[in-house]
Amino acid sequence: MENLKNLSAEKITNDLLPQKFGRRGMIWTASLIVICCIGAFAYIKQLREGLIVTNMGDYVSWGIYISNFVFFVAVSLVGSLITAIFRLSGVPWRTPLTRIAEIIAVSNITFAALIIIVDMGRPERLYFLFTHGRIQSPILWDVIVITTYFFLSLLLLYITLIPDIRMMISLKDKLGKPFSKLYHWLASFWQGTAAQEKIRDRAITILCITVIPVAFCIHTVTSWLFATTYRPGWDSSNFGAYFVSGAFLVGAGAVVVAMYVFRRVYKLENYITETHFDKMGKLTVMLALLYLYFNVNEFLVPAFKMKKEEKDYLSGLFTGDFAPMFWFAILIGMIIPILVLLFKKGRKPKPMFIVGVMVVVGAWFKRYLIVTPTLLHPFLPKYDAPARFNHYFPSWEEWAITIGSMAGVLLIITFFARVFPVISIYKTLEDKNALTKQHETTEQYESVPVS
Amino acid sequence: MKQLNNMKVYQYHKYIIIMVLLFGTSVCTINAQDSAVSKTELSVSYFLPANKVPYLEVSTKKKVGRKFEPVKNIPVSVYLSEAEPTNLLGKVTTDASGKGRIGIPASFKNTWDSLNEFKFIAQSDSSAGQESLSADITIKKAILTVDTTSADGTRMVTAQLKEKSGNDWVAIKNIDMKLGIKRMLGNLSVGDEATYTSDSTGVSSAEFKRDSLPGDQKGNIILVAEVDDNDTYGNLVTEKNVNWGAAVKPPKNFFAQRTLWSTRFETPIWLLIVAYSIGIGVWCVIFYLIWQIVKIKRLGANA
Repeated sequence: MENLKNLSAEKITNDLLPQKFGRRGMIWTASLIVICCIGAFAYIKQLREGLIVTNMGDYVSWGIYISNFVFFVAVSLVGSLITAIFRLSGVPWRTPLTRIAEIIAVSNITFAALIIIVDMGRPERLYFLFTHGRIQSPILWDVIVITTYFFLSLLLLYITLIPDIRMMISLKDKLGKPFSKLYHWLASFWQGTAAQEKIRDRAITILCITVIPVAFCIHTVTSWLFATTYRPGWDSSNFGAYFVSGAFLVGAGAVVVAMYVFRRVYKLENYITETHFDKMGKLTVMLALLYLYFNVNEFLVPAFKMKKEEKDYLSGLFTGDFAPMFWFAILIGMIIPILVLLFKKGRKPKPMFIVGVMVVVGAWFKRYLIVTPTLLHPFLPKYDAPARFNHYFPSWEEWAITIGSMAGVLLIITFFARVFPVISIYKTLEDKNALTKQHETTEQYESVPVS
Repeated sequence: MKQLNNMKVYQYHKYIIIMVLLFGTSVCTINAQDSAVSKTELSVSYFLPANKVPYLEVSTKKKVGRKFEPVKNIPVSVYLSEAEPTNLLGKVTTDASGKGRIGIPASFKNTWDSLNEFKFIAQSDSSAGQESLSADITIKKAILTVDTTSADGTRMVTAQLKEKSGNDWVAIKNIDMKLGIKRMLGNLSVGDEATYTSDSTGVSSAEFKRDSLPGDQKGNIILVAEVDDNDTYGNLVTEKNVNWGAAVKPPKNFFAQRTLWSTRFETPIWLLIVAYSIGIGVWCVIFYLIWQIVKIKRLGANA
């Protein structure tokens, strides 16, 4: 924050303007496009041949697609955490993180919606959900709340972007022509008048207040898709809080990873400082402890009782087929991050980046473990089922679509960073002016002789 | 003295070495069993459902480690009496569960009627990565009937097994049968025993002890008599409908109530109010915010 004081407005503007892709950027983007194309090819194959190309069956009818959906929904929650909660609580160091958090939220919620359609198998029947949907079903609640959160996140991203885009219109000579029409369409009306500022500020405040309960709803309702079903591992009144706390953790992890990458690639060391990593580290360790607490509740209590119906499911997680993945997710996703982040050295950018990656990877496997083992352990005995129904491992089509969707999320973030500033120029300049004023006031105050 | 001690130590060590060797051999044997893959086994079974059209089921499996795994995609030909092309009953390829089913073709009716004992031969020719397989069974023609009697409030289920001998059907004694009631996931025994043995008249009987078992809307249940995997007669199953169950009638207007499990037209009022209030409330905010953007635009245009 203090660095800003010593930077000129011109330097800040130049540093934060979107930059053309270099050689590495082109390779990165091309790789993502190729992975997306492979995913699209696998999806076309699934459309032509049906869900038979997947390894899902009568028992595991929600496989890797729904695990991935829950993961995307979880990550998208970060938009509300960083932008809304930080803004409403007046966190002064939030500026370099908010835009990153917002774009992570928009990209993830977009693909969460798409992956549900992929899981349906027959996308042309999506409209049945609206024409024949029952409001009693949590699935319909989920569709409504995801759509709502998508629009809110998009509005939040757009309204905060308007002054920056206007600034980029005026810097057309520097930026070149490629996106000038888009910039004009999006923000040519912004004059920065006091009346416009007032409306914009109020709109952002209303958005921040609205987005928090909607964000909580989106993940709570997603948890209810499971918790309203009477099954081992899902039959829990703890599920809403368990999901929301996990979502905050993975979202914070994703922001940390994005912070590190943008800082390195766009050389933003003056804006995303070690202090930001330190503070995000403290936040992440708090969230990891909270999620660990809910995990203890979620597994220790049923394990203590070891009810007959849940025994196979729990044994499978603790010592059975799923044990390596379960303990990997717990260690990588919670325990090790907590241990690393408790130390100041662990909250430096590079260790934070590694911890962020661990949290995100651990969270993905955690979602897989929430979905699959439960489905393999129904209450009713399996009767006259083929042997392959007793196991589930995704087919190559499922992997391709899943990895393709992840590449899609990264592609949205990449394109966004190419077109728009990843840190708000307007807000950074505002922060700089505020700091300078504060500094001058302090100096004036100190120069007054004590009588 | 030292020599004596050495002898004792040697003897002591000898036992340890033997123990270690035995343990090592056991471990190696267990590991070998775990990793060993035996050659594919072929078997053929005979089924006669409801004394009507019989069929044959071929099964292929192999031992992997300590358990049998099904072997799929094995082409199998099944013959009657001798493995000649004219006696070919049919060809089948085993599915993912390692099984394949063949019905007795109508062209074999005369042969079938003239015989009282059948030999079925299943063969699979050698192909890429698979050696030739063969199995056969000999089955005596038999029929299984099921009946019920009621006296002094006691309900009895009886089943009788008869084999064809010459032109007559002769009762068969000492055959284990299952007498059960068809349920959703399997058959429930009518009495306390799992199986009942036929007497000298070929009849097995059991007291029906499952009173008030839920049946259909009229109280009908299905009794099942079964001879399961018998070496001489194969698998025979026959069923009979009886009105011994409790009538299960769905409550009137079950789906016409406003409940969480009703149709979308019968949503509880409280849920409608809560869901629509939240939805409309949030979307009003979204439309209000869009209106604010429009206002910012207008202000910009007028500036």
